[in-house]
Amino acid sequence: MLKPARTFRGGYRFKNFNGQARPVIVENQIPALVTIPLKQGFGAELKSLVKKGDAVFAGQTIARDDSVVSSPIHSSVNGVVEDVKRMNYFKRQTAMVIIRTTNASKEIPRLERCSLEWARLSNEKIEELVYLSGVSSLDREGIPTRFKSSIIPPEEVKHLIVHGIGSEPYNISLDLLLKEKNLLNFLEGVKILKRIMPNSKVHLSLNSKKRNIIEQVTKLTSQLEWLDTYPLEPKYPQGYDEILVPTILNQNFPYGYSAANIGVVILNIQAVLGVYEAVCEGKPFIERIIAICGPSIKDNIHIKVRVGTSLKDILAERVKTESPIRVALNSLLTGFQLNDISLPVDRTFSHIIAIPEKREREFLSFMRLGKTRDSYTRAFLAEMLPWVKRAPDTNKHGEERPCISCGFCERACPVKIIPHLLAKYVQRNLIDETIMNYGIFNCIECGLCSYVCPSKISLMKIIKEGQDKLIMQGCDSTQCILPYFNLKGIKEYRGVTKL
Amino acid sequence: MKIIKVILENMNKASQKNKALMIFKPVLNAMDEFFFGTDKVTSLPHIVDNMDIKRLMSLVIIALMPVTIASVYFWGLRVFLVIMVSYAFGGLIEVCFAVFRKKEIHEGFLVTGLIFPLILPPGVPLWVVAIGVMFGVIFGKEAFGGTGRNIFNPAIVGRVFLTIAFPNIMTMNWQMPFNKGLGGFIHFQNSVDAITTATPLALFKNQGIITSYSNLMLGQSAGCIGETFRVGIIAGGLFLIAMRIVDWRLPLAYLATVVIFPYLGNHLIHTQFALGGFQLLSGGLLLGAFFMATDPVTSPFTKPGRWIAGFLLGFLTVLIRGLSGYMEGVMFSILLVNAFTPLIDTMVLKARYKKK
Ligand code: SF4
Ligand code: SF4
Repeated sequence: MLKPARTFRGGYRFKNFNGQARPVIVENQIPALVTIPLKQGFGAELKSLVKKGDAVFAGQTIARDDSVVSSPIHSSVNGVVEDVKRMNYFKRQTAMVIIRTTNASKEIPRLERCSLEWARLSNEKIEELVYLSGVSSLDREGIPTRFKSSIIPPEEVKHLIVHGIGSEPYNISLDLLLKEKNLLNFLEGVKILKRIMPNSKVHLSLNSKKRNIIEQVTKLTSQLEWLDTYPLEPKYPQGYDEILVPTILNQNFPYGYSAANIGVVILNIQAVLGVYEAVCEGKPFIERIIAICGPSIKDNIHIKVRVGTSLKDILAERVKTESPIRVALNSLLTGFQLNDISLPVDRTFSHIIAIPEKREREFLSFMRLGKTRDSYTRAFLAEMLPWVKRAPDTNKHGEERPCISCGFCERACPVKIIPHLLAKYVQRNLIDETIMNYGIFNCIECGLCSYVCPSKISLMKIIKEGQDKLIMQGCDSTQCILPYFNLKGIKEYRGVTKL
Repeated sequence: MKIIKVILENMNKASQKNKALMIFKPVLNAMDEFFFGTDKVTSLPHIVDNMDIKRLMSLVIIALMPVTIASVYFWGLRVFLVIMVSYAFGGLIEVCFAVFRKKEIHEGFLVTGLIFPLILPPGVPLWVVAIGVMFGVIFGKEAFGGTGRNIFNPAIVGRVFLTIAFPNIMTMNWQMPFNKGLGGFIHFQNSVDAITTATPLALFKNQGIITSYSNLMLGQSAGCIGETFRVGIIAGGLFLIAMRIVDWRLPLAYLATVVIFPYLGNHLIHTQFALGGFQLLSGGLLLGAFFMATDPVTSPFTKPGRWIAGFLLGFLTVLIRGLSGYMEGVMFSILLVNAFTPLIDTMVLKARYKKK
């Protein structure tokens, strides 16, 4: 018997977008040149341990600093360091190590003392392996180990949430990630994590539509009393920490802070598989599985690439070139636009999505039946033809108009704030405590309000602007969060520095 | 498609050459947008919903189509004329304001221009239509700053103005509808001897006669142009609710109150208060509940607010129908509740975001 699927109020289910990546994986060639950013994912930027001219091998640590919250970074190929320099990487000057491959062998040396029989390893050793492999840098808070890869020590973790929901328009394939042996590896990874974080309860949350996976997992874990499995409805943005915590733990989220501050660590399935590979197979985290999605890609598959491979190497052969396209990283709602395809792939990449950049105008656009058009309302034919794939593009599909208070944005907002009301205050420049009281700092920037608005108002942007203005006036979310929570390990307020 | 493009281009060129024609720029732009859609692209999020205001308004118009077509059958081809006058004069005001403000023309008027004729008596003189629609658009909408800022529903402002300014025309001019053969589809208007029937509400009040429910449902009763074909109204309203364009809370609260509340009144003074079922199916209630009270701009945006507004509307409608000299409580109650909308929303927000 499966438990009924849990969900939350608000949100929106993106259904059946054209160009979902098939559950097939192709290994990319070892690139001739890799560019490795020294800040990847969660944590601080590190100093390079290598310099120009040094010979390095795949898996060699090229940056590490145990005194700050971070994880080591490795070379992803065998080669020679060509340069260490600062480059613009996602709007931020970041140090990069550039390595020219000299030996394209696929061999990766194992980490020392890894063992399939991990149960025999000491806790310290396991933590060290997790840390050294670099997987601890994954996800927003990182995996806590004593080597400072998270803001809280491992004993203080009360809940570990592992999620594989896939509520975005495009998602990495759960069937592929948990195929055959991987499922067992994944569960092994979960057990390792439980060992590192002994006081935690583990909550596996999976897409409620993937019944066979849930059934298998439930069967395999039925005797573990510290583990619970939850089917969750794949409604966007269920995969966000801020939504997972209330849905699964029935607990309020300290918006603007990290889940680690309330003793919760949230990881995705790839991170857990990484833990298994690090501890049992001794694999440093230098490869990444990326789903290549969207209608502007010739063949939608998953690829396995070395960290540092440039996007050009990945995309050049794969995109359709007839018409202009837009490439987005990880999410169509919140992801960065990848304009510069000389940029490298880092550990945080999981999806690369290419959709048509549609500037052409369309004759009587608003009167079309809309066989392939997605909408929050049910006013397009697509709603009645669930088997027809929906085709996304970047057109605005309408002119900007004044807000008509239709309430779509409020209904869609997952954190129960009223976007149009906040936007009206911000646009009239009424920036004061009222909007703070109305929960402007609860916004998790999921972008749904901007998505659903029929008047094409960029609500998310306006709300962000309001937050910034408030912060400039000296108000910040500490005032509405701190009095109600007992937070652990706070060093800085992270909401402000979010990109 | 090509032809339209060429025409628009030529008109654009002409307006660029001639300064005086420049003022028609908003009209040209609106037409251009209407036919060819937008070429703008998103920033973040990378994709946005396909729904836009044009489609939203078109769907409301589609939902009104059964009623409109039926009304032609009941009252004759003259209905077309009334609608055209409403669009022409209302549109004129809309364009004037757009030109004057140097803003684009908004689509909201397409709905107002159709709803307004539907809430007028069939025999209404055309000049009255013109005055009413102009008054409604100017004082119901433009005076507040245009689409999205108005407090009152412009169609209702126009209608209430006419009721007060020309009470004779607006309350005496009833007719019995066509009911045989092709009816109004082949006649211009009803013959003179069909005139002067009282509406079902008036029949009840003055003579205690209750019109049969099937006649009320199918439009065989006197009333405003678009309010009598109630099957069509209900279908249109449910269509909008199913499309998620209209929120079901307000109409439900409104109609439920109208059905339940009169039982109380009926116990006290049964000559004044008709029973709930009759109240529900008479007058402009259904049209008002589905198409006017739910106008998003003028109804509360909070969910509790919608329940409250629906209840208030029902209460006021029944009271006005039962106890005042006016037969028709729907228009007045919508206007009144529109005025309270900001207050209702503020109260709901205050309660929700109380300082802990
Ligand atoms: S971006 Fe913010 S306001 Fe908009 S829907 Fe998401 S959480 Fe709500
Ligand atoms: S979705 Fe857009 S038009 Fe509707 S209430 Fe929100 S901001 Fe206003």
